[in-house]
This record gives sequence, C-alpha cells and structure tokens, in this order.
Amino acid sequence: MKWLWLNLTLLLAFGLSGCSESPQVHQAKLFTLGTLVDVTVLHRDEAAAARAVEIVESELATVNAQWHAWRDSPLTQINQQLALGNTVAIDAATYRFIQQAQTLASHSEQRFNPAIGALVALWGFHSDERPDSAPPTQEAINALLKSAPSMADITLTETTLSSNNRAVQLDFGAFGKGYAIDQAVARLKQSGIENAIVNAGGDLRAIGSKNERPWRIGIRHPTAAGVIASLEIIDDESVFTSGNYERFFDFSGQRYHHIIDPRSGYPAQGTVSVTVIHRSAAVADAAATALFIAGAEQWPRIARQMGVDEVMLIDEQLTLHMTPKMAQRIQLEIDDAELNIVGGEQ
Amino acid sequence: MTRADYLIVLFAALLLPYLYVSQWSSSEVGTTAAIMNGDKTIAVSLAHDHTLTIDGALGPTIIKIEAGKIRFATSPCLGKQCIHSGWLQQTGEFAACLPNRISVAVLGDAPRFDSINF
Repeated sequence: MKWLWLNLTLLLAFGLSGCSESPQVHQAKLFTLGTLVDVTVLHRDEAAAARAVEIVESELATVNAQWHAWRDSPLTQINQQLALGNTVAIDAATYRFIQQAQTLASHSEQRFNPAIGALVALWGFHSDERPDSAPPTQEAINALLKSAPSMADITLTETTLSSNNRAVQLDFGAFGKGYAIDQAVARLKQSGIENAIVNAGGDLRAIGSKNERPWRIGIRHPTAAGVIASLEIIDDESVFTSGNYERFFDFSGQRYHHIIDPRSGYPAQGTVSVTVIHRSAAVADAAATALFIAGAEQWPRIARQMGVDEVMLIDEQLTLHMTPKMAQRIQLEIDDAELNIVGGEQ
Repeated sequence: MTRADYLIVLFAALLLPYLYVSQWSSSEVGTTAAIMNGDKTIAVSLAHDHTLTIDGALGPTIIKIEAGKIRFATSPCLGKQCIHSGWLQQTGEFAACLPNRISVAVLGDAPRFDSINF
C-alpha cells in the first residue's frame, strides 16, 4: 500500500512536469501569401519539423503565384481573356478550385462573390498598400454594379472556363488563403506530420494536438487589446475571422474597410467581425466573408446554406451573435458581454 | 510507511503546487518580444519602457515598448497596417509590416494560447 501511495504521488509530480521524451514544439515565421505565416509543428525530430515548414512555404507560395489577383499570374491572364469574351483552357486543379468557389458563392447567395475583382480594384485594394486617398465616386461604383458580375455568370467545364458577362474579374481574396492552407495541411499529413498549426495572418488550420492536450486558440478582440474568446481545437479544424480592422484606409474622417458588399458596392456595414470554425479552411474563409456581408439579420440563413454551424458575429454594438454550437465551444475572455444565441437547429 | 517514505510523500506533495504553477498555469501577459527584421531576430524585454528604431527594407520603423506592451509607432510603409495593429501584450500576439519586412511577436514563459486568430 505504501508503494502505491508513493508511486501515485511521484507519478502525479512527474506527470505535471511533463515527459522529457515528449515531442517538442517547433515554430517558424514566414513572409509569404502576402502576409506573415506562423507555422507550429509538434515533432520529436527537429529536421522533420524544418521539412514541414518548407512544405508549408512551398504550398503557400504555389497557390499565391497561381491565384494572385493583381500581380502577373495565371489568374490575371484568365481575367484578361474573360474581359475579351474569350474561353480559357484550364487544368484539373484550376477546375476544382473554381468549382468549389462557384458552389460556395451560390450557397452564399453571392455574398461571397469572387467575380467582383474590378470593384475591389476600384476601391484600391488591388495593391499591397492602400494609401489614405479618396474612395471611388458613386458614378464609378454604379457603373460596375450595373453589370452585376457574379460567379453564376461563369460557365465551367473540366477543361474550359468562360463567362457570359465581360465584367467578371476574378479575385479570390476571400478564398485563396483558406485553399492554400488546406493544400499545405494536406501535404503535411501526407508527409507524416500529425500535429501542427498553420496560421496565415491570423487565419489558421490546426491538426492533432499538443502532447495529449488540444491546441488552444485565442480569438483577438476586434476593437481592444487582448483576446475576446478562446477555444480548443478538436482533431482537425480551421478558425477564420473576417474583420473590418484588417485592411482599411481613412479619408476625410471616414474609415473604409476592404470587405466590399457586392450589392451596394461599398464596404459592408453593421458588422465588426465574423469568426467561423470548419474543418475546411477554404469553406471557413469564404463563409467568414459571406456572413460578414450578410450581417446580423441574414447570417443564420446564409450559414445554414453554406454548411457552417459554428459562427460568431460581432456587430458594431459589440453584441456577440453566435450559433448554439459555437456558444458551446467558445470560452469568453471578457466580462459583461452581450450574447445573442441564434437558431435552435444548426 | 517508514519515516523516509513520509518525507518523500511530503516532498512530492509540496512539489505539486510549484509544478502546477510553473508548467500548467496560463500567463496571458508576455514578458519579451521577438522582433524579426528580414531573416534576423532579436529578443527585447517588455519590462522596461523604451523606443527602438529598426532599419527595414524600406527604411526606419520605430517600435515602442510601454507598460509591458509593444507596438509599431511609425513606419515608412504606405498602408500603416502594422501601426493599425495597435498594442500587443498577450503571449502569441503578433503584428507585421510586410513592406518593411519587420514583425513583432510577444513571447512568454507559459503561453496560454498556441495560436491567435484575428
């Protein structure tokens, strides 16, 4: 009996101190995909972790080069052909990419609308740095809205892409990052990496766990320093947030952010941020943007249509609207939060 | 149990609170920051207020440390996204100036979060 007590106590003590044979956390920061990417890998072998970082860097760079909306890329060449009314030959990977984006756009009722590249460019967000200069005129915005480009204008086969609307200019800014992270994570899994986080500019996908406990994620407060909420990752999940604080410019005392509502042609109003949890980073990416644009009234319906059931929307009064599943998952890190749990059936 | 056994159990029991605090408790506020300038990284303490000037790819960026927090104060970039990121204080928080190739990440002894979403 005495040895049982002794061993139990020592086991607890050493258990809390951590096993020296446990895999170690390796972290690297990369400048790629137009943002700062933070790669966390849990592995016993430092060389294997370094190879994992190289895999992530390579995958993200490949997607970035393929789908960059304003630097010379295969996408800008596609856009040039669509503007001329031409049909473009595409490969299998391009087909899958655009087909997934088209499906998500349809489910979002075109709130997520990658066809409004010309509108995004008009607002000046087709640049690495948008200076604080005047927004576009109402006339210029109206001219683009009149042609109403959407992903429904695209005709897609496994080998060709065309549009019956020459105003369609593709910009996958609300999808490409998620797609790139999905590609990187798939390659990590193929190479035997089981526990990792790929965080690109605050949007992330995490797989596995950290030495038998879940990865812990903090969601930054959208209007103040610190964290507003936290959650633990279950097995393999993506956490994406679209916020009006990410890219913006100020002009004549007015702030204009980068999430353009395809219906009004102006930055979407009423929402500060939307956080989505989903296994697929690409779906989470598109949904975060679509639900931001949908706003506090319409987001539950659009979320259901897009197949996402873990959502938190923060409005301009800093009320936290969330699905029941998100409310169960999330731990609030602030006091006196006003909560609105939306929808009983998710 | 012998007297020696009691002493070992007592020692282990006293060790538990220390190990819990040192290994498992969550420290939200960072103690240092890693400033990455291109491929070079320097570590700075957040314990003392000071101002750093870092020469990046475009020109000098000024980084301020004040009351345990750190932020980009000025930057030669056009968009000023780094400055808009504001004060960083919690372990795991980071901000970057991509044009000037400078980033700041807050580090701590016991990071509460493995990654920050924003």
